[in-house]
Amino acid sequence: MAVCIAVIAKENYPLYIRSTPTENELKFHYMVHTSLDVVDEKISAMGKALVDQRELYLGLLYPTEDYKVYGYVTNSKVKFVMVVDSSNTALRDNEIRSMFRKLHNSYTDVMCNPFYNPGDRIQSRWALLPVSASSPGGPYFLCPIQSRWALLPVSVSSPGGPYFLCPIQSRWALLLCPIQSSRAFDNMVTSMMIQVC
Amino acid sequence: MSVPDYMQCAEDHQTLLVVVQPVGIVSEENFFRIYKRICSVSQISVRDSQRVLYIRYRHHYPPENNEWGDFQTHRKVVGLITITDCFSAKDWPQTFEKFHVQKEIYGSTLYDSRLFVFGLQGEIVEQPRTDVAFYPNYEDCQTVEKRIEDFIESLFIVLESKRLDRATDKSGDKIPLLCVPFEKKDFVGLDTDSSPVSVLLGVKRHYKKRCQGRMRKHVGDLCLQAGMLQDSLVHYHMSVELLRSVNDFLWLGAALEGLCSASVIYHYPGGTGGKSGARRFQGSALPAEAANRHRPGAQEVLIDPGALTTNGINPDTSTEIGRAKNCLSPEDIIDKYKEAISYYSKYKNAGVIELEACIKAVRVLAIQKRSMEASEFLQNAVYINLRQLSEEEKIQRYSVLSELYELIGFHRKSAFFKRVAAMQCVAPSIAEPGWRACYKLLLETLPGYSLSLDPKDFSRGTHRGWAAVQMRLLHELVYASRRMGNPALSVRHLSFLLQTMLDFLSDQEKKDVTQSLENYTSKCPGTMEPIALPGGLTLPPVPFTKLPIVRHVKLLNLPASLRPHKMKSLLGQNVSTKSPFIYSPIIAHNRGEERNKKIDFQWVQGDVCEVQLMVYNPMPFELRVENMGLLTSGVEFESLPAALSLPAESGLYPVTLVGVPQTTGTITVNGYHTTVFGVFSDCLLDNLPGIKTSGSTVEVIPALPRLQISTSLPRSAHSLQPSSGDEISTNVSVQLYNGESQQLIIKLENIGMEPLEKLEVTSKVLTTKEKLYGDFLSWKLEETLAQFPLQPGKVATFTINIKVKLDFSCQENLLQDLSDDGISVSGFPLSSPFRQVVRPRVEGKPVNPPESNKAGDYSHVKTLEAILNFKYSGGPGHTEGYYRNLSLGLHIEVEPSVFFTRVSTLPATSTRQCHLLLDVFNSTEHELTISTRSSEALILHAGECQRMAIQVDKFNFESFPESPGEKGQFANPKQLEEERREARGLEIHTKLGICWRIISFSGGHLGLGAPLLRVLTSKKDP
Repeated sequence: MAVCIAVIAKENYPLYIRSTPTENELKFHYMVHTSLDVVDEKISAMGKALVDQRELYLGLLYPTEDYKVYGYVTNSKVKFVMVVDSSNTALRDNEIRSMFRKLHNSYTDVMCNPFYNPGDRIQSRWALLPVSASSPGGPYFLCPIQSRWALLPVSVSSPGGPYFLCPIQSRWALLLCPIQSSRAFDNMVTSMMIQVC
Repeated sequence: MSVPDYMQCAEDHQTLLVVVQPVGIVSEENFFRIYKRICSVSQISVRDSQRVLYIRYRHHYPPENNEWGDFQTHRKVVGLITITDCFSAKDWPQTFEKFHVQKEIYGSTLYDSRLFVFGLQGEIVEQPRTDVAFYPNYEDCQTVEKRIEDFIESLFIVLESKRLDRATDKSGDKIPLLCVPFEKKDFVGLDTDSSPVSVLLGVKRHYKKRCQGRMRKHVGDLCLQAGMLQDSLVHYHMSVELLRSVNDFLWLGAALEGLCSASVIYHYPGGTGGKSGARRFQGSALPAEAANRHRPGAQEVLIDPGALTTNGINPDTSTEIGRAKNCLSPEDIIDKYKEAISYYSKYKNAGVIELEACIKAVRVLAIQKRSMEASEFLQNAVYINLRQLSEEEKIQRYSVLSELYELIGFHRKSAFFKRVAAMQCVAPSIAEPGWRACYKLLLETLPGYSLSLDPKDFSRGTHRGWAAVQMRLLHELVYASRRMGNPALSVRHLSFLLQTMLDFLSDQEKKDVTQSLENYTSKCPGTMEPIALPGGLTLPPVPFTKLPIVRHVKLLNLPASLRPHKMKSLLGQNVSTKSPFIYSPIIAHNRGEERNKKIDFQWVQGDVCEVQLMVYNPMPFELRVENMGLLTSGVEFESLPAALSLPAESGLYPVTLVGVPQTTGTITVNGYHTTVFGVFSDCLLDNLPGIKTSGSTVEVIPALPRLQISTSLPRSAHSLQPSSGDEISTNVSVQLYNGESQQLIIKLENIGMEPLEKLEVTSKVLTTKEKLYGDFLSWKLEETLAQFPLQPGKVATFTINIKVKLDFSCQENLLQDLSDDGISVSGFPLSSPFRQVVRPRVEGKPVNPPESNKAGDYSHVKTLEAILNFKYSGGPGHTEGYYRNLSLGLHIEVEPSVFFTRVSTLPATSTRQCHLLLDVFNSTEHELTISTRSSEALILHAGECQRMAIQVDKFNFESFPESPGEKGQFANPKQLEEERREARGLEIHTKLGICWRIISFSGGHLGLGAPLLRVLTSKKDP
């Protein structure tokens, strides 16, 4: 039902953007980009409201001929923008609101991933890492960017999909976190797009 | 009406429209010169009242828009000014005819018109005419402004009369029905008076109300134009009520809009139209001055007391009360605009009116800083479908939308529409695409996409902005500039794209971009010059700091043999004069600018210096970097550029850039230059993020000569590892038999550019467990120095004598007293055990372990190592106190030659003499002879052992002079004893003079070492 879903960083660059008609992706880029004007305007308008009373859901940003653009902003000024086909009149404001809330929860999961650097694009690249199962001490995967994570054991068997265990000396002392938080986010978006109301 | 005026604003409702047009052939320059002067008279205070008239001038106005003049009077052309050239009287009638034709176009609405004739002189000019003004030329026409003012006053008179005429219309009179063009056919035949039978009373009243309402609205317009704001408000209010009751929506909308316009004029005297409003404001600030300048007689009028008292201040307070009531509040203005627009939208033919109303409302909202609502109005305006627009109109429409979005602070939306406008300029349907205009518009969108064309803004921190749209824009800029026929620009934009968007390009895009960049640069190479654009924008150069990415910069010291050293005597200069302390923790921990830190080695003028860069190629294909060299300052530097080819996505790759400093001083390496894909880049280290450097400043000292050493000996495979830091440049090796001496001839060649003036040679024997006897290395430097100074390219020779004298006793315990066993005859073959001992060595295989142990001791090849140090200097570097050090490593393998296996003495016939008995063993594979001073040679075959007897004079060691006293004072007794022994050994050696000679080639002196000495001392002295 959603045609395009985008997550935009505080500094107004895209962290994640996906649209269903993939052949005209740039159109949605422009659509979401220009919607930021409205988001900015709305944020500055409600700047005076107290933080805890602030409504995160921004409502309809603007309608176009074929689409409706909705917005949502987190307390850390990360924006979610959703483009919905305007022919879909069955979609209520409340449903949009709950979709945004789901999206926000999923995004929080991504942020909890210690491998995710805030500000990076949300990509499920961790799932694509080479796993050398043959190494002694169980399967490991190689973490490409930060050397301090060099090798991490993966316990594949745990319920709820593969998890990784981070080394104790880091600030993430002992943390079980699904590897595929970004993948989960992606799946979430996909489900929102194909779901028929 | 089909042509919207996108520049309209609410206050235009109070203006009178005057069209200024050329007739016949008038040059554009001249026309606009006069047009500008005419436009300066945009505001006139009417002579006998406080009212102000505003004039809107147009040099082009579509006549079909004029047809809507009844609907909104500011759309009506009320004045026409024509400008014409006329040089002869016979052309005059024709010109005048043209003026009339022109008048016909707007004839139905014109109040008055004027013709300005330039160039005509003669009798025609003499006749005074009100509608024609003559000027001799375009310079000499001071009275133009005055003429215009008169003209406007005449317009005012007509306007005022029309207003009064309509305003005083009583309801009893028959009021005509005002119509917009598309309504006319609807009302044909609907004549209420002529068909009283069929018409119901209600319909008639309805019709009448409609007429009244429309007329009220019209009068309101006229009042507004005539400067009577309050009256117009009242009329509009009445009109709204009348029209609302009859559901005459189009005109109701117009009445509402009129109400809004009047209220806006009241609330915002500064105007809402941006630039034009400012101009108007400025104009109103100095009307008196302007009037005085152009109209000397005006002053009297202005200060006329009668005018002030009668019309200046309105004594009627009822209008003051009405003012507050009738005028809309700022919030109401927007509501009424909304309402009006919703009414307009019911009529397809009123699209232009609706669009213009939207624009006017947006301008008002922009002033009220209500961006969200303004954007809604604009959104509406976007979807108003006019008839098929021409391409030019589309461009104009999008540009205006962009401007309006900019006005309300929606920069991204503004950029979006500007980009659409730019694309419209080059739409495929346009016969002659306006690439220049497209490019100009695209440039204007840059801020909206938070994109600056300065690569420095991208070098720090993370990328800003929306890469996908930025990239698209850059691609469009590249394409537009290429089609404009400015390849330099497209190269610059493409370089910028590649440099700043590298992280966002896919592998295929990287390939495509570089390919097109190479295509462009083949015609126009990229430079480091800033490109100035006509709009005043300057495109800074784009150095490719990411192609390749440089991670590490390190200045390299010269190779050890070329490093300059400071002479010790001049050490005083080296000590820092800044501090009286030799060491201070403050200085030691001073963390200065790391990059500016001087490195503690020197480069030498005229010698090749090296800087090592660690680079890597981020591209998915091989990167060819050409002409890569150093950028330096401080010293004249000849950079020797390199070309390299980096494999795809290489890891860190070392690259050495070289150059030759030509003068002395302090050199700073500022960066490097490259040519990649035909683009020249100067990359300064200061601008590179994440670069590691260990200082970039180094001192260059004056030139020094260069010495090259070649020897008569072969080069050695294994190099010496000296204990101290200095490195050995050349290693030679030689194989000698124990006792053999050899001359080593060293060729010294000055391969530098400076004369070699000084040379010092020192040697150092590396610690060895072997004991050396006698002078190991000896030389005479004087002969060589006689050839100095050595000019560049000249060769000198230097001879060193190598003498190897190691212990000739094979092992201490083997040196037994001959008297202890039975063998005592000279020339006797050695006992078999010795032979057997020798055999294993020859066969290369020990027979049995205990014997082979012994054999190892005297068949062992011993190694001696020494370093010869050549300190040399010359040229300007010498005067500065620098020298260079060249080391030659000497590797000598000493093979055993002969051994004394046993030593004994026998008393001789004379008491003053004795026989020295020696068992000599030839361990070589050659036949050799042993000779002494006194006896003839003894021939020894390979591996043979023979006893020889030498008759010598007895002597006493005690009579022997001691070694120099001072030495003894410091040394301990053990060392003293050692020295003494050595001296005695030397004495014995000179006395006996035992030599061996391999018959086939070489010869050597035998020295009898300490063990022999021990035997001798124990035998002789008792």
